[in-house]
Amino acid sequence: MSATDVVTAFFEAYRNHDTERMVDLCDLGADFSYVPFEAWGRQRVVRGDGKVCTIGKTIWTTLIDSFPNLTNEVTWMTADDDGNVAVEVVISGTQAKTFGAIGNQGLHYDLPHVFLFHVNEDDRIDDITAYWDGADWNRQLGRIEVD
Amino acid sequence: MTVQERARTFISRRGRQEPVDEQAVARAFFERMEAGDVGGALALTTPGGDFQAVAVGMKGTLGSEGHEFLQELRRALPDLAMTVTRLFVGHDGTAVAEVFLDGTQGDDLFDIVNQEKHVDVKTVWFLHVAGGRIDGIRAYWCQNQLYRRLGVKRLDRVTITA
Repeated sequence: MSATDVVTAFFEAYRNHDTERMVDLCDLGADFSYVPFEAWGRQRVVRGDGKVCTIGKTIWTTLIDSFPNLTNEVTWMTADDDGNVAVEVVISGTQAKTFGAIGNQGLHYDLPHVFLFHVNEDDRIDDITAYWDGADWNRQLGRIEVD
Repeated sequence: MTVQERARTFISRRGRQEPVDEQAVARAFFERMEAGDVGGALALTTPGGDFQAVAVGMKGTLGSEGHEFLQELRRALPDLAMTVTRLFVGHDGTAVAEVFLDGTQGDDLFDIVNQEKHVDVKTVWFLHVAGGRIDGIRAYWCQNQLYRRLGVKRLDRVTITA
């Protein structure tokens, strides 16, 4: 299985809302970073950084719960011989529940994302980093405050 | 030699077809940008190549919109540091770079009023290199993070900070 096959399977599992499969495609200790994910409190900032099996699975499950028709379309992918894979993917969904600070107005979004993966020699993803424009996402979902 | 393989070579001054080091081209681009040498960075590009800065909705050519974007970035953040934290090259000749942007606002930036605040934002850049030149750039970051760092309070009033 090539690194791009593993990543393709990951997004297929995501489209099927199969978070168990998404996690199974990852190494047990896989690192996870959703860069734009920041929750600013008075004392500290909570970021979307940690491990796939804890932070990652929790975020995916919560997203699918809040956007029950969540889907994705991979638009571009490249990879090297060392297991690095970069993906441009459009993620879409219609909000049905509050997600974090984004109240539910029943709005739909289509948002370009970049995912960077590293796939190890056992064909397991051991690193996921994702980027998107949170301002565009908030705007599409009807939220205009920058907290 | 396939078209894709040929694109990953260049004709040297000795007239030889030699492999392109896409990583070196990408690093040189960011080093020149950090040094404030926008012209030098653009000299590594093909003016008619595609440029897109997704978060600010800029799309066009490297010679026009790309030039405008890079000039604005350097002008508004005069002490800009661009630290490449990860760099690899895909089989299609795209250099994928995670770049940490760090600087202090010295002028308005993408309509954001200057409050002399410090900004640090992680970004990702796709630099497609063909024949030794960058012929395509797409850059991604979270504009919400940029707004937050620079004191913008509402997405519908980017130019108002209080």
